[in-house]
Amino acid sequence: MTATPLAEPAGATTSPTSPANPTSRPGRPGRPRRHPSATRRLVAAELRLLRRDPLTLTFVFVFPVISMLIIGGSFGTTPDDAFPVNPAHWYVASYFSVVIGATGLIMLPVHIASYRERGVLRRFAAAGFPRWSFALAELVLGLTAVSVAGVVLLAVAAPVYGVPAVDDPVRVVLGVLLGAVAFVSLGVLLGSVLPSARAAQAVGMLLFFPSFLLGVGGPPPAVMSPTLASISDALPLKVVTDAVREPWLGLDGGTGGLVVVGLLAVVTTALAARRTAL
Amino acid sequence: MDTSPLPSPAAPPVISVTGLRKSYDGRVVVDDLDLRVDAGEVVGLIGANGAGKTTTVECLQGLRRADAGAVRVLGFDPARDAERLRPLIGSQLQDSGLPDRLRVEEAVRLFAGPDAGDAEELLERFGLAHRRRLHFATMSGGERQRLFLVLALLNRPRLVILDELTQGLDPAARREVWRSVQQLRADGTTVLLVTHELEEAEALCDRVVVMQAGRVLDSGTPEELVTRHGGPVVVRFGLPAGRPAHDLVALRALPGVLDVERRGDRVAVHGRRSAIAHVGAWLVARGDVPDDLSVTSPDLEGALLALLDTPTTTTEDAA
Repeated sequence: MTATPLAEPAGATTSPTSPANPTSRPGRPGRPRRHPSATRRLVAAELRLLRRDPLTLTFVFVFPVISMLIIGGSFGTTPDDAFPVNPAHWYVASYFSVVIGATGLIMLPVHIASYRERGVLRRFAAAGFPRWSFALAELVLGLTAVSVAGVVLLAVAAPVYGVPAVDDPVRVVLGVLLGAVAFVSLGVLLGSVLPSARAAQAVGMLLFFPSFLLGVGGPPPAVMSPTLASISDALPLKVVTDAVREPWLGLDGGTGGLVVVGLLAVVTTALAARRTAL
Repeated sequence: MDTSPLPSPAAPPVISVTGLRKSYDGRVVVDDLDLRVDAGEVVGLIGANGAGKTTTVECLQGLRRADAGAVRVLGFDPARDAERLRPLIGSQLQDSGLPDRLRVEEAVRLFAGPDAGDAEELLERFGLAHRRRLHFATMSGGERQRLFLVLALLNRPRLVILDELTQGLDPAARREVWRSVQQLRADGTTVLLVTHELEEAEALCDRVVVMQAGRVLDSGTPEELVTRHGGPVVVRFGLPAGRPAHDLVALRALPGVLDVERRGDRVAVHGRRSAIAHVGAWLVARGDVPDDLSVTSPDLEGALLALLDTPTTTTEDAA
């Protein structure tokens, strides 16, 4: 059995074969390695585990791509009087929010509730992980998931429908960033208040699918009944979608949506940080 | 009754608890508890489910905030200084887990702080060196417990708290874990062992604190507890046929003897531990050394069962 190095004392000069320090990890010879902080170790472990989670892979990486291909292909690529934007581009610009919603409403609540249910958070707390380390790790985890899944989405969309030109990049980036922070924090908050992974899964699905169908990836607002359109307008994921899609496609939306998303991000982040302190 | 050693100004206690009180929804689970653990001691916290053991150790680690009382651990107040205190404690918590898909080697890396000891040696010692690629979800109960022990000891803690240490372990693994705790004691590490396994407490602990319904019933070395609560020792032997009954009068008068029974040629002497030597000396002096003499001594289990056999206000699990 090959001995894999596992841990390293502080300030140890690393050498892969050093008999005096069998726990050190390979590094540049002669240069002291700083021991990674507890928060860094936690972030690294969480990112590694992200790749092994089938729920995440399915809902955050696969589901948005497949839905985009199906819905985008259903309405063609030609604008008309009723829908004066390339429908496929409309959905490509919208589906960034599906990734954000899937991460915040399904992946993180289930992940965190499962940790709490099984005593993983207690173990982190008892081991002396800093108070905010888990909240920070989950924020990094969520934002990484959104970023990678977003890139995957665009990479698939590019050869099929083309990626629409970005009309106002600053507002798009802000919309994506604030929307992602808001929903990641909401996910962390849900995971910290729901009693079990099963409850988180049920609540997450209940929140995600109406948000997805009415706010992002379902029928265009023009074909909705007034009641459904009103409900759609009130959905947080719809607000995020508008804050990204409108500046992306050059639609006239103003900055009101972006401000609301920013406020949502501040409130959910404050609540989530408070609830997930170890 | 708490017979803990008196505090010594020269050596501050590792754990000092006075008047600890904790309730959940109005139900008192720890009630005016006093506890002292000195450096280098292995102290067992014993009691049935619901005695308040787990809640007590959670308060010691700052995982729960006490309603009342003064708690100091390694000089820190766990409620206020948890971030500075917790890295100094290695704990194996009851009902806690790890992410399902985390491998053994990744868990060790995750929990290894800057002062971590030799992880390889710990994995070898606990039989996990060849299981380092295993995911937590696929480990057996015993393997998980051993991994928790590795993680508890990884950062060379000054205090080790082990809650239901050998739960789920087979006898061989249990002995291995016991040897590790004995090694900790030899190294001078302070250990607080929470258990309801009396054999474990007797084998490992310098001192045992017995809890019931959130209170300390008694504490002392296992021998002291056996002496106080274990009932009499019984010395049994056969007498040659035809011995006069008045012989037994002399036996009854021996120091430490409480009662003497005779059935046929069999005699049973009930008494304190000191009676064993006096009965033996009496038999030798008479030239009647029996070859069937046996001594039945009370053990910690019997002593604690007798101690705990009092009405309780709650039997629900306080954890």
